Amino acid sequence: MKRFSLIVVAALCGGMVHAQTNVTAPGSPASATTHSPAAPPPPRAPTQIYSDNGADFDLSGHQAIFRGHVRVDDPEMKLTCALLVVDVPQGGGHPNQIVAETNVVIDFMDAKGQTNHATSDKSVYVYSEQGGVTNETVTLTGNPQPQMENAQGTQAGDVIIWTRVNGDIHVSLQGNFHASSRQNPSQIVTDTNSPPAKTNLPLGTIQNIDKVIQNTDAITQ
Amino acid sequence: MNAKANITMTLLAAGAGWLFAIAPGVRAQQNGVQHASDFTSREYYGSTNQQQQVKSILSGAEALPQPGGLLTITQLKLEIFSPDGKLEWVVNAPECVYDTFKGVANSPGHLQVRTGDGKFRVAGNEGFLWRQSDNFLTISNNVRAVIENGAKMNTKP
Repeated sequence: MKRFSLIVVAALCGGMVHAQTNVTAPGSPASATTHSPAAPPPPRAPTQIYSDNGADFDLSGHQAIFRGHVRVDDPEMKLTCALLVVDVPQGGGHPNQIVAETNVVIDFMDAKGQTNHATSDKSVYVYSEQGGVTNETVTLTGNPQPQMENAQGTQAGDVIIWTRVNGDIHVSLQGNFHASSRQNPSQIVTDTNSPPAKTNLPLGTIQNIDKVIQNTDAITQ
Repeated sequence: MNAKANITMTLLAAGAGWLFAIAPGVRAQQNGVQHASDFTSREYYGSTNQQQQVKSILSGAEALPQPGGLLTITQLKLEIFSPDGKLEWVVNAPECVYDTFKGVANSPGHLQVRTGDGKFRVAGNEGFLWRQSDNFLTISNNVRAVIENGAKMNTKP
């Protein structure tokens, strides 16, 4: 009984010490520098994939192919399609590419909690991590033309790119990007195909015709 | 020779492709297949610098020879390693039949596959077929996979 009491007291003291790590005691130099590190980000719920017609695994090629009424249940989106190909990195880790094909339907919620409904023939999910920064994009393409529906209406384009980390959605039509960013409208990209500023073009191009004339004069003199 | 070694040698004699690497000379005894239990066997990559890197480890609770070169294996566990020694895949099945002539394993039952780090896991309950020649696995019908996402995304550079 005595031992049990000691254990309880020790446990309570331990709890108190833990609880006091962020408390600043006046006049205590040690406590002035006591700051608990930033809390680690909460874990995300796992992504689940279901398929009715089985799956093939190329264990050497690190690829999994799911067939027949494939459903992807992710904390941030739901996807259905007929074929899903998952590239699994060598040695494990998060899949770096997932391709969904045929009758792709994606329902997701953006950063403002607005529901979006997207359809396409093909979608390519790409995941990468560089310097502690995660990039996740979903690119919709194919025929029929990808479409995105939400409370603002329906958008269609040759390519629709959804950047998951910030919720941006870019709709491209014949190579010109028109963007809608519900999360931060100031980040809207309007037209990425505008001609570039003057470049180091070679002599003889129309932009450098003055220089060409000058050089010709120099030679003849 | 101890009892466990005997078991392994017996299984080798069954002609299972996984097992050839240990004692290829035993293959000549293919007709003398016997029951084996609590077995483990290794397959190796080609030797480099006189060191043999494990390619796969097969283990099981029991191996029961059947007519026609078949082998019923219970509590199968297959671990596949990369050439640099990383555990890439782990395959578990409560029971399967391995065809020692064709080099294929199949079962009408449960199978579980996971990556070495466990972040990608797949399970099926309605049968599978594994082809040893190209390391290709087919899981029948209803399949469920889980991808662990880890921590929430860091969006700030």
